[in-house]
Amino acid sequence: MSILLKKTLKLSILPAILMIAGKFVGVIALIIIYDLPFDVGNQINGIFSTQIFLSNNTDTLFVNSFSDLAMIVVLGIPTLYMILNTAVLQSSKTNPRTIAKVVKFNMLKWVTGTNSTFLRIFLWSSFVLISSIITISNTLQGDTYRWIGITAGVVSLLCVWGLIKTFENETDKVYPNNKKHSYY
Amino acid sequence: MISKNKKLKYKKTLGKILEPFALGVLALLFIIPAITVINLEPITKKVTDVLGVTTNSELIFDLVGGTHEIVSAEKIYKEENGDYTYSAILTKRASDFYSKPIIKIINNTEDEKTLTFLGTTLNPTRSEIGLIIKDQAYKLQRANGESQKVEILLRPQSEYLVYLTVESVVGVQFSEEFEMKISQN
Repeated sequence: MSILLKKTLKLSILPAILMIAGKFVGVIALIIIYDLPFDVGNQINGIFSTQIFLSNNTDTLFVNSFSDLAMIVVLGIPTLYMILNTAVLQSSKTNPRTIAKVVKFNMLKWVTGTNSTFLRIFLWSSFVLISSIITISNTLQGDTYRWIGITAGVVSLLCVWGLIKTFENETDKVYPNNKKHSYY
Repeated sequence: MISKNKKLKYKKTLGKILEPFALGVLALLFIIPAITVINLEPITKKVTDVLGVTTNSELIFDLVGGTHEIVSAEKIYKEENGDYTYSAILTKRASDFYSKPIIKIINNTEDEKTLTFLGTTLNPTRSEIGLIIKDQAYKLQRANGESQKVEILLRPQSEYLVYLTVESVVGVQFSEEFEMKISQN
């Protein structure tokens, strides 16, 4: 088995668990906090037959919206953090100003101690993208608030943009961009 | 030395055998969370107690749900004035006759109840839309877009399964929203 495949499998487990946990904990927490009447029953609607039922449409919309938001936040924040971390690290390698600022703000350990690789960012961004597609499709069907759908769209666009930037930085290591270096 | 080489060989062969399975597991790591999240989305339905008896209404409207060729995104909700609204999306379709059970109405009272149904699509699409209740067909919207009220009498302590019917004379190439108001007289 290739090392890449092993690493991919290993790195995919955490975002997959967090995606389910974000949604599940979001649903359960909202039901408990707002003391909403609910029922767990069977309905042949999805792939699994067990589903959560709420008593009215307003509660359903509220719980679905904020649990979608919880899922996006749980996946989006670590992904954006990793992208930022990698961007600062890459920038500090080429730009003396960045390294000076990093030292000034005592963030050297934070930047150098990074374990954010392109593969990790790619996998996390993929999960953000999947969750955003689900949230946006819910918004289009009227099952989630519109502003949450827009937030999901913005977060996924930021992650994809960050992923492309990281990819560019990684390819620059293999094929350096001549124009960027002053010694040419 | 030989046994080490053999070990390495076995490891390599095992790795090759396991690789397609690992790819399958990787695909599942993406698919399972997505399906689980979709399935965790709550649904509006009358909440029943442990004995399965609905306690908070005399006249019960239950969404049948499920999947259908042309009817999707079904919802039923109670308005502030006590009326119910059923909404669904009728997706693009070929010229044909379609029907789907949409609502189960249970009259738990000891009195007869009269219900009025008024349903329409936002744009006329040369489709005849109607209801079938207890094998009796009713027209809700004619092909020219003209809609009409349907009144039905519910007997005490009885259950009615309402079917939505859509008859398209020509193929419809876009989705449309269908909304039906259900009021009690």
